[in-house]
Amino acid sequence: MKDRSFSRGWIVVGLATLMYLYLLFPSFIIVPISFGNRVELAFPPQHYSLDLYRDYFNSADWLTVTGRSALYAALAASLAMLVGLPAGYALTRTTFPGKRLLVMLLLSPMMVPVVVISLGLYLYYLKLSLTGTVIGIVLAHAMYVTPFIILTISAGVENIDERLEKVAVIMGASQWRVFWQVVLPQLGPSIVSAGLFAFLMSFDEVVIAWFITGPSTMTLPVKMYSSIKWEVSPVLAAVATILTFVSIFMCLATYWLKRGGSRRAAARAAADAARKPLVDEAALVQAR
Amino acid sequence: MAIQLSRRDLAGYLAPVTALMAFALVVPLAFTFWRSLGDTVPSLDAYVGLFKSRLFNQSALTTLEIALSSTIFSIALAYPIALHLSRLSEKWRPIFMIFVLLPFWTSILVKSYAFIVVLGDAGIVNHAFMALGLPKVPMMFNRIGVLVGMSSFQIPFVVFPLLANLLAQDANLRRTAAVMGASDLRIFWQITFPLSLPGLLAGAIMCFVMAMGSFVTPALLGGRKDMMVANLIDFYTREALDWASASAIAVILFAVSALLLWLVGRVRRESALM
Repeated sequence: MKDRSFSRGWIVVGLATLMYLYLLFPSFIIVPISFGNRVELAFPPQHYSLDLYRDYFNSADWLTVTGRSALYAALAASLAMLVGLPAGYALTRTTFPGKRLLVMLLLSPMMVPVVVISLGLYLYYLKLSLTGTVIGIVLAHAMYVTPFIILTISAGVENIDERLEKVAVIMGASQWRVFWQVVLPQLGPSIVSAGLFAFLMSFDEVVIAWFITGPSTMTLPVKMYSSIKWEVSPVLAAVATILTFVSIFMCLATYWLKRGGSRRAAARAAADAARKPLVDEAALVQAR
Repeated sequence: MAIQLSRRDLAGYLAPVTALMAFALVVPLAFTFWRSLGDTVPSLDAYVGLFKSRLFNQSALTTLEIALSSTIFSIALAYPIALHLSRLSEKWRPIFMIFVLLPFWTSILVKSYAFIVVLGDAGIVNHAFMALGLPKVPMMFNRIGVLVGMSSFQIPFVVFPLLANLLAQDANLRRTAAVMGASDLRIFWQITFPLSLPGLLAGAIMCFVMAMGSFVTPALLGGRKDMMVANLIDFYTREALDWASASAIAVILFAVSALLLWLVGRVRRESALM
């Protein structure tokens, strides 16, 4: 049924359109600027060229930090996935005393101001001589992105049918086997989107990296930060455009993954509705 | 009924993540707290020094001002978006959602750079002003720059809780009011808006907490007078090498944020009871 209560919806639509433009314009204005020339940043550029991209791809400095950031992000995301995936599953499917407290702890990197975390890591790493090391930044970023992995995985676990796991247990499968052979194969889309999130978050992270990386571990965002702060070099427009396309790719990927997920959920709901009168697995489990 | 894992299995699932958090979060935070109490003998000197320092008081005040104004600004801009998204059909909502998610996933550095290029003295907006015969308006490296930069970062964080709230509202209330002859504006002000207050408040507090801790935006888009406490922490750490004061500021920032987030938790719980 059409929602009549906002027949004057055009006010909302008009205002919302302005706000969408406000949100999107920085991302989109940077694209044409990046095809301008080296001398002056202008919109629209007087002459279109690929100079800035040439500068970027010819600069060993920029390429090194980009590759380094990608490597650290991949390592941090993998480590976070390794610890976050089992945690996301166990926290969604079980209850135990102290669970609320543990969840609060595991999600707190999202809540504590990043600058506070960064200072803590800096002071602590100084003591451990971990400042400016690869292991230091990877551990820090893994900690920073883990909450997002736990949340994404947990949402994915909630969407899969718990009865399959129960049936597997009844059939005598061990907990680990249930996790590996029943749960994991169904979590595919959640794992992919959680991994992408984690990668991008670490790849874009500035503040922690600013505090704890040294000259040989400087990441792309740290280089961008100092470059914007001290010189605003034109090559930044090319870097920013490349990053914008990475973000666009992320959004589309999650959109597709989510759409696939909701389609599967709808299909399963329909299957459930058709099946329910025949077998009630929950009753079966209880009877056991 | 939940699946029961044995104690050993449960430890296997949860111990690694707990260890990571303990190593990279809990110990560093505890260490910061310890550091704020001085080097050898525990004392509150660093805190006393901060409250006497003009630099700290000035930047604390600036932080509160910027956090409050950018929160209000972000709410005002986020509300139409959330309202629009909430009235879309299931098919279109995820597509428009991309417009909010894209800025959410765009690096804050990319956005800051774009704002400098667009709103700077030689940027397109000022070019347009000059072409129209208007005077130049300095919009970068001052409070306006910080507000613009912060809001573009914060709006998505207000939109999400607000949208959840708007979607949970019973559409029948609006329909009934409409049948009874209420105007659209009256329906909005007397039904939709009051019911959305818990979501709005939760989003606003989240937004305020994030704004208080912001580091990149004031450093890149603000002027020298817009130094916020996060930048002061950086200053004390790198330039003054006064780690006790840096730690004390971090502890204060942490405590205030924790208190506010605890309030969000209460708001959420109460709204769940409604």
